[in-house]
Parts: sequence; C-alpha cells; structure tokens
Amino acid sequence: MSYSTFNRKQFDSMKEPMFFGENVNVARYDQQKHPIFEKLIEKQLSFFWRPEEVDLSSDRKDFQKLEEHEQHIFLSNLKYQTLLDSVQGRSPNVALLPIVSLPELETWIETWSFSETIHSRSYTHIIRNIVNDPTKIFDDITVNKEITKRADSVSVYYDRLIEMVSLYNTLGLGTHHVPEHGDIEISMRSLKKALYLTVASVNVLEAIRFYVSFACSFAFAERTLMEGNAKIIKLIARDEALHLTGTQHMLNLMASGKDDPEMAIIAQECKEEMRNIFIEAAEQEKDWASYLFKDGSMIGLNAQILGQYVEYITNVRMQAVGLDTAFGTKHNPIPWINAWLVSDNVQVAPQEAEISSYLVGQIDNDLSESDFDDFDL
Amino acid sequence: MTTLTSNKPDKVRDKVHRVLLGKKQILVTEDEPLLVQLEREGIHVEYQCREGYCSSCSIKLLWGHVEYPFEPLAWVQSGYMLACCAIVKSDIEIAFFSD
Ligand code: FES
Ligand SMILES: [Fe+2]
Ligand SMILES: [Fe+2]
Repeated sequence: MSYSTFNRKQFDSMKEPMFFGENVNVARYDQQKHPIFEKLIEKQLSFFWRPEEVDLSSDRKDFQKLEEHEQHIFLSNLKYQTLLDSVQGRSPNVALLPIVSLPELETWIETWSFSETIHSRSYTHIIRNIVNDPTKIFDDITVNKEITKRADSVSVYYDRLIEMVSLYNTLGLGTHHVPEHGDIEISMRSLKKALYLTVASVNVLEAIRFYVSFACSFAFAERTLMEGNAKIIKLIARDEALHLTGTQHMLNLMASGKDDPEMAIIAQECKEEMRNIFIEAAEQEKDWASYLFKDGSMIGLNAQILGQYVEYITNVRMQAVGLDTAFGTKHNPIPWINAWLVSDNVQVAPQEAEISSYLVGQIDNDLSESDFDDFDL
Repeated sequence: MTTLTSNKPDKVRDKVHRVLLGKKQILVTEDEPLLVQLEREGIHVEYQCREGYCSSCSIKLLWGHVEYPFEPLAWVQSGYMLACCAIVKSDIEIAFFSD
C-alpha cells in the first residue's frame, strides 16, 4: 500500500487506529477519537515563544568569566541538545506522518515537531551570542565521539521504522532484500513492533536525555550565571514536558489495546526491550555526566549527583509508562531543580522574582561599547 | 475511584480529610490540591508543571477518593493520582512510587 496525501476512500476516521489504518484525508478537528491529542495541540500552541524574546546580553559576559572546564560543560550540553532537537525537529514527521491515521494525532505530530524547530533555533541564538564563530561549535557535533555515540542510540529506532515503512509503501508485505542491510521482514506485526519501540525511545529521548543539560543550565543560573540561557531552557523544558506526555499517552493507549488490540500484545512482547531502552539511556546519560565533568565539577553539581538524578528521573518516567523502576535511587538529589522546571504561570518559589514571560520584547540597556567589540557586523 | 467534576464545588469548602503516608498522617482540606498541602507539611513531592500535564507528581493512591477540577492532560495510571491538581474528597492513603 502506498501513501496518499489525500486518501480518496470513504471511511469513518473515528474508527481508525492511531497508526497503520487509513491515511488521513480531511484535516478536521470537530471530532476526535482521542481528544487528548487535540488538547495537546492547543496547549502547545498556547506555549508558543520565540528565542529572540529572551535577552542574552549578560550571558555573553558571564560566559567569558566562566572557568575553562565550565565553558566545556556549557558548550558540550548545548551541542548535545542541538543534536537531540535536530533529530526531534524532523523525525516525528518523517517517521510517523506516513503511518498515522487520525487527524488530531497527525496535527499533534506536526505541532510537536514544529516546537522542536524553535528549540533548535534557540541554540543558534545562544551560540551566536557567546562565541564569535558558531561554525566551530556546530561542526563538532558530527565529529565529537561522545556526541556521535549518542546520535546512534537516539536515531536507530527512528531509522529502522522509516526504512521498514518505506519498504512497506513501495513493495508491500513480505521479505525484501535490501543491499547492505540484508533481508528485512515486513509484516504488520514487525511494523507495529518497530513503531512501539520507536515511541518508547522517543519518550526516553525527551523525558530523560534532556535532563542532564537542564540540570547544568539551572545550576549555572543558581549562581546567577547564564540566566538568559536558563530562561530559554525553562521554556524548552515546558515544551518537553508536554511532548513526553504525548508519547506517554501513545504508549499507554497502545499497551491498553483500546486503540488497536494487536498493539497490546506487542507492548507485552516488547516490555523487556523497552525496559532496556530506558536503562541503556540512563547509563549513557551517566557516562555523559562523567564526560562533562572530566576536567572539573561545578558548584552544586558533580558527576555522581547528576548520575543519581538521572537514575531518579528514569524511575519516574518508567513508572509513568507502567514499567517497574530500575534504580535504587529513591529521592531527587537536586530537588531545587523543580523550582526552575515549573511553569511561570504557577507561583511556587517566591524568591524567583524574574519571570521569563515578562521578558517578551525586553530591551537590555546594560551594555557598554566594549560588549560589541568582537561582533562582526 | 477518580472522577471528574465539571465545575468547582461550592460550599463543601472547609471539609477536612486525613491523608495517610506511611506512618505519617496529615490533615488536608478541599480548598487546594494535595501537592501544596503536602509541601506545607514539609513533604517533598516531585513536580514540574503543577498544572496536570507532565505527570511528574504522580503518586500512588492506595485507597480513597480524589477529584480533578479540570481533566489533567497527563496520563493517570490506574491506582495513581496527580498530586498537583487533585482535590482530596475523602480520607485517603498515598505512597510514593519508591516506597
Ligand atoms: S506537576 Fe506536572 S502533572 Fe503534576
Ligand atoms: Fe525539543
Ligand atoms: Fe521534544
């Protein structure tokens, strides 16, 4: 069966499964099989923000004052986040749009991906602001071993699903020989399994992998350093919280069998592999923390504390998708992070007077001539 | 056990319920969600959004009845509740996932 951008068949889209049913034809939102995705779209739209709205002028000065090993921590996290959002800005679209069958889910996927492109744009905004030659930073992302190691794990499930779906769309069901990849079995079962594992690995990407960077960004901000960056990260974290809820819903709907009974069987079959995806990611993130701090820690954070935080957050996320927790860490070793992660419209930490949404359109006057010295215009 | 109410309750305001957490017992009202009331007692609960869309505050509801003034966006596992937005409606017993 090949993909059609406007399926001419007549069918009741309220009876389709989330994936691998009919291709969506009419984009309509007056009725939804799963209203949650419509609600996520609305929430995501209400979160809309632009990186340029956040003033970064003092970050430039702060960055120059950071110790070399702190600059390494800061830049490495930015590179890793750039990788993650590069993947997320395109992959839900490329992998999931050809197989989605509900209009509200299709639009959720597009809205979700779009918000990731804002994240990518914010990294350019940050990097342009703190270094004179952004190319050096961006080029390192594809060659730095510590980062490329991660690129494999975050893209492998997406890539496999994309390959399988394109075989399915061109050649149909059966076993197909692909040069250099060997024989690939395409059955509804194998496709759905690849889908389920992809969604699990995306959940891990958004719900765990970002949090090491988040913690470092907020640890700088706790020392009133790189505060503009922290405001951007706060906005990104708010989006990511919504994205992870989206994938949790997909996983839980699949596992419940309410959407597609076969998916419940697949979810059961994949339980062990899914568990391993979570655990493997947590181990990689702990390694990443050691790499960040290889030349020295920063105040309030070190590789060990960050490792415990990774374990803790992994437990929280596993529990949310019905898995038994994997690690012994029972308490959040850096509870102060929650005050940074919380949405601004909810008052929680009164000491946190500066609210990032107030920064919209702000112009910072606290600049001297010399701040522009090494800007090339 | 978990129900949704379309609109805010009116008069049943100062009703007090017991919340059991391990060996601790805390008294809470229906005026505010459970999370803030636990925090006031010095009990740390994980949270992020405090608006029902991230599931970070998910805790076990062993028995008892809670209601959500608005339907949370986050998935609520059966046997769990979202502390940030749930209003306690009877005596309840809760536990953290780690217990
Ligand atoms: S803190 Fe986000 S759902 Fe409760
Ligand atoms: Fe993102
Ligand atoms: Fe995301």
